[in-house]
Amino acid sequence: ALSTRDRIQAIRDLPMSFKDKKHIRWVSHKQIKMITKSFSSAKQTLKLWQGAMKSIGGKFGTSVLTYFVFLKWLLMFNIFSFLVNFGFVTIPLLVYKGLEILTGAGYFKYTVMYYGSYSNESLVGYNMQLAYFFTIAVYMVLCGISLIFSMAVNFKNNYVLADSTSNSAWQLLCTWDFSVTNEKAVKQRRNNLCVQLKESLSETAQQERLTVSEKLKHYGIHFSCWLLSTSLAFGCAAGIYYLLETKKHVKIYTSPEAKTLLVPFVVSLINLVIPLFYSLFNKFEHYSTHRKQIYALLIRNVFLKMSILSVLCYYWMKKVPDKGSEGWESMVGQSLYRLVLFDFLFLMLGSFFGEFLSNVIGTKLIPRMGVPEFDVARNVLELIYSQTLAWYEPYEQYIRHFISSSSVSVSLTHNCQPPRRSGRAAQMQTIFIFLLFFPFFVGALSIVAYTAWSLTPSKSCGPFRGLNNSFSAVDVWIDDLKNITGSQWVVEIYNNVIRSEIFYFLITLIILVIIYILWQVTNGRKELIRRLRQQIVNVSLNKWNLSSLEYIYILFMFLFLFA
Amino acid sequence: MGNKQTIFTAQQLFHRYRDLAPQLVPLDYTNHPDVKLPYELIGSMPELKDNPFRQRIAEVFSEDGEGNMTLDDFLDMFSVLSEMAPRDLKAYYAFKIYDFNNDDFICKSDLEKTLNKLTRNELTEDEVRMVCEKVIDEADLDNDGRLSLEDFQHMIVRAPDFLSTFHIRI
Repeated sequence: ALSTRDRIQAIRDLPMSFKDKKHIRWVSHKQIKMITKSFSSAKQTLKLWQGAMKSIGGKFGTSVLTYFVFLKWLLMFNIFSFLVNFGFVTIPLLVYKGLEILTGAGYFKYTVMYYGSYSNESLVGYNMQLAYFFTIAVYMVLCGISLIFSMAVNFKNNYVLADSTSNSAWQLLCTWDFSVTNEKAVKQRRNNLCVQLKESLSETAQQERLTVSEKLKHYGIHFSCWLLSTSLAFGCAAGIYYLLETKKHVKIYTSPEAKTLLVPFVVSLINLVIPLFYSLFNKFEHYSTHRKQIYALLIRNVFLKMSILSVLCYYWMKKVPDKGSEGWESMVGQSLYRLVLFDFLFLMLGSFFGEFLSNVIGTKLIPRMGVPEFDVARNVLELIYSQTLAWYEPYEQYIRHFISSSSVSVSLTHNCQPPRRSGRAAQMQTIFIFLLFFPFFVGALSIVAYTAWSLTPSKSCGPFRGLNNSFSAVDVWIDDLKNITGSQWVVEIYNNVIRSEIFYFLITLIILVIIYILWQVTNGRKELIRRLRQQIVNVSLNKWNLSSLEYIYILFMFLFLFA
Repeated sequence: MGNKQTIFTAQQLFHRYRDLAPQLVPLDYTNHPDVKLPYELIGSMPELKDNPFRQRIAEVFSEDGEGNMTLDDFLDMFSVLSEMAPRDLKAYYAFKIYDFNNDDFICKSDLEKTLNKLTRNELTEDEVRMVCEKVIDEADLDNDGRLSLEDFQHMIVRAPDFLSTFHIRI
């Protein structure tokens, strides 16, 4: 006898007739009544944002919903990392030092959550340095693994099987979004569909008629837009660097603290304004699909943010040799904190006033412009950017997350309309995760690794003070372990495995081999799909009289491949 | 997930069904009462009332083919349209929804009716004809001028968004 769960699953998987299902259903009905009582807690957990997601999906469609799905994913991710960090690092520190740390001159310098002030003493049996080092290392590794895993899952579902042809059939039969429930939204989607269908009809008509000169014109416009965006990014990065270098000479008649706020202010301003410029390019450039448009926009924005971040990191790393009385950890930490704070403030202002203003301007002053569209690409990139900053300084963004997500959704509902051209939501989700991983996570990881391995911690602050580099904390611990009998095996492993380069070489080799095998398997499957398709065509052309059993076999092969 | 989730959702759905007509639907189903809600009530649900395919959806899932649904049909409908239904099941029912004349093939007239429901007469007749021809050209693998279930499933496989668009949240 099957368990109830298997039974329900079996019911779901077969398109049986209703009468047959009915009989099985009565049994489930009895169980429904038995479990009426204990649902309050289950309802709570299941309904995390369920209502909000439903209304957003209903009004704006699934591609905008991907932004919020991504946000929810990031939130889960961050909650987990918060628990890890808090449990292993902050709680022992709080227990030991108590509230002493929270008082003192300057909130920036002495809070518990602040890297520079961590003590390097050992609590009873709990080595603070080691705890910090290992916590960060494990956290980074776990982040990396979970990102890779999500990427692989998304990639398998959304990329391996998708085909980029068949624009029209796909639009007609597969993209009608059944989850849209708002009347105005439905009407708008209908209009969009009409417009898209007309566009695609005229495109096919026009494709033969594109003359050489028109093609040249298109390429010329693309090239100049890319050139302009790249040079803008470089220009901004150079400007930031120049500002950092000459910051001391700028004459501002305010307190010296305000001077330190200048750079974060400028950085956040650039991050706000330049992407809007990039969105303007859309008026001139025409991409054949909406997806290519979003990707181009994303690449440009990514490039801008990466160049600014790398300039900032380079400048901070360069400043390490200047040892002030505070130590470079405090200085870097403070700069980072200010940057993060300003980024958050500008995000708030941007979503409330920016979109509100364009809404007002669009509807009342210049009706031709219309209501602002929700720019999925830009908003996602802002999310990824704040996440990257968080990897440098883990605590600040947990609070921001809640506030910023709710504010964005509020401004969305009041000020924006759904994007005019809907894109392929599932593939966009894959691209977002890939973007999160590749430039940003890898960049953050390399900076953290560089900090841990090569930079000398300053003598007076930070948890690693007094050592030659952060990694020496582990060396010291291993030396201590040598004296304790019974833990020789740890020392052995450490000396022969972790410190030897061969180990890492072997691991890299194994990973590469695994990737190669998976790639070959994927190619093999693609070939099988191609052959099966060909077989279907052959069968129909030759009009063989296949028995139903053979049809079932072919279908079964399809289902097996895609299950 | 699994068991608790499905039973919890089924209970939620039962209450939604009952809320449509509390005087017709009893709370106690142990005696298998034969209760059918007319199509007008189903079609007025907020999740369905603006959907251009609501009539076809109700017809496909109802036992009598007219849109009058019992509780079973109602549960079936929302379970197929939920996010947990497997892709093949959804493809099967989507095919039935778009097959207006119920002949197990999506022929040109079915496509034209689908297009009219989606665009509400905003395209000219010529444009409608051209779009339908294009669809059949691209999707018809066995070259018989109409789409069979296999052709449709093959097309669905190439559209990874289908799982998220053929979905109604309740």
